[in-house]
Amino acid sequence: MLQHIIPASGLLFTLQNILWINIGVFIGAVFAAIPGLTVILCVILFLPVTYSMSAIPGMMFLLGIYCAGGYGGSVSAILINTPGTPHAAATMLDGHPLSKAGRTKAALKIALYASTFGGIFSALALLFLGPQVAKLAAQLGTPECFMVCVFGLTIIAGVSGKSMVRGIIAACLGLLISCIGSDPMTSYDRFTFGVNRLYLGLDLAVCLIGLFALVEIVSRAEQKPGELHMDTKKMHDNGAITKEEYKRMARPTIMGSLIGVLVGIIPGTGASEASWFSYSQAKSMSKHPEEFGHGSVEGVAAAESANNAVTGATLIPLLTLGIPGDGTVAIMLSALMINGLNPGLSLFTTQGDIMYAIMLGLILVNIFMLLQGKILTPIFAKVVSIPQEILTPIIVIFCFAGAYSVNKNYFDVCVALVFCVLAWILRKLDMPPVPILLGLVLGKMTETNFRRALLISNGSPKIFVSSVYCWIFIGLIVLAVGTILRGKIKDRKAKAAPPKEE
Amino acid sequence: MKGKMDKLGEKLKGKEIRIPVDLTVGVVFFLFAVVVMLLMPSQVAVSERDVVNGRAFPELLMWLMMACCAGLVIKEIVKIVRKQPLEYKTINLLVELKALIIIAILIITYVLCRVTDLFVVGAVFCALAFLIYFRCKKPLYYVITVGLAVGIWAAFRFLLNVRF
Repeated sequence: MLQHIIPASGLLFTLQNILWINIGVFIGAVFAAIPGLTVILCVILFLPVTYSMSAIPGMMFLLGIYCAGGYGGSVSAILINTPGTPHAAATMLDGHPLSKAGRTKAALKIALYASTFGGIFSALALLFLGPQVAKLAAQLGTPECFMVCVFGLTIIAGVSGKSMVRGIIAACLGLLISCIGSDPMTSYDRFTFGVNRLYLGLDLAVCLIGLFALVEIVSRAEQKPGELHMDTKKMHDNGAITKEEYKRMARPTIMGSLIGVLVGIIPGTGASEASWFSYSQAKSMSKHPEEFGHGSVEGVAAAESANNAVTGATLIPLLTLGIPGDGTVAIMLSALMINGLNPGLSLFTTQGDIMYAIMLGLILVNIFMLLQGKILTPIFAKVVSIPQEILTPIIVIFCFAGAYSVNKNYFDVCVALVFCVLAWILRKLDMPPVPILLGLVLGKMTETNFRRALLISNGSPKIFVSSVYCWIFIGLIVLAVGTILRGKIKDRKAKAAPPKEE
Repeated sequence: MKGKMDKLGEKLKGKEIRIPVDLTVGVVFFLFAVVVMLLMPSQVAVSERDVVNGRAFPELLMWLMMACCAGLVIKEIVKIVRKQPLEYKTINLLVELKALIIIAILIITYVLCRVTDLFVVGAVFCALAFLIYFRCKKPLYYVITVGLAVGIWAAFRFLLNVRF
């Protein structure tokens, strides 16, 4: 590891990288602060900007957005009781009561410090665990790689919607869409319907613009008119945090960071799950559980440290196995692949300097997030009140410009529109979009490994149960499915049970 | 015009359609999988020499999809027979009409960009159309949004060298 650190530092500490980190952090925090705009939407919109960049500045820019998005979501949660991003919902429970008690700046400061700690903790976990997992991943052959893909898809299908079966159907749809274009092994065209442009397949970024960004615009139809107003006078407290409060923050912050890392490593789970889990753990372990929900500093620290600790951990399965930990990092995979960086052990050996520069960069991203948060939080707070009338068409224009610029072709804009309509219909049927995204990302890898394994075994499916690793992954899949189903049955029973009388 | 739209809105406001989600998903995607299977021979060329050809993976997916759909449909039929409540999704017609208007704005923006081959034309239309959709009466918002639309086009055109 040490042999890579010094050259990686040389690659990382350039003016260009530091500039892109800061631009990313600023954009991420601003976007996440606006309710309704998610981090995934922001990464999709700005992905085309990275196409002309090399790997390190491109990834630094996207990681800046990703990490700062974790903190930005808490700004509106604390100020106006509306989480900017879904994972800031747990922060809202105690952040807003603190703000109402006249301690807005203090609440924002606690969220910032906890987020930074969680982010750096997670980056260190990535730095130390990443290469070890990659070594393990190098021992996997084609059938095992196929099982890894199935494992990732199963978990994501299971946890991202209300129904696991609907999740599996969505994942199948995503995998089928990834089959459009030339066959990866024979180069025959598939499902092109005579459209020559489809021979190259569908670009991931273009599909995502439709699936996640444009559909959010269509969902404005569900919102009632009205603007969000914020009283900036709320920011006039001195933001002081007492020694006693710092002491009380320490334990939930460390525990939240640990929970965030553990949850983040599991594909399909994300910042929302981590922050709620950490919040409930902090409450159960606190000496003052009665303060939770009424402005507890421990509650804010636990939720914020956990949701930012997910950021580095989600990169572990992405960089080592090619399995994205969540939807946002799935998009980052295309930024890596455009620069010829394919996940796996080879990434840590042949491209070790670049890889370590990216992992070290994550620490730098969190430091700049802390600095920007300390200086620019009043600006982040002001954007909360940008009216929807202005924001909506601007996002559409960004989406169209982004879709066009991928291949400099209006055909891609049309594809994005088709995916937007598809996503809207699927939303009406309560079908989760994240398994489709994972299907699109993992499609080629899953199919290639599936077919190669069958070729090796001359068509015999026994190859998928031929090694210890295969059995381990089968065991993990069964365990994951069992746990998910048990959780869902429990939820259903809890809903069906008659409410307790007060 | 505004009055007519308000009247139409009021009429549609309370109109809702309830669809049994799992049953609908089961039927729709089962039919989808069947159509894909029927299209497969014409859409995926294979060689007889291939041990595992290009149809193997999509076929596997469609069989899995059909199995899941069949499971959903059977589960819902059992629920109906046992007179247990089904899971419904409520679709509000007013929301769907608004969604259709937004989709129409997006399509017209795309058509304008494509026909004129000038992205800025579509961008300005999009800005104005959404402001009208939101019934915005503030002239300043029009100036800001149109200005930003032109600004984004200029940034992509001159800074990122995207020729459109």
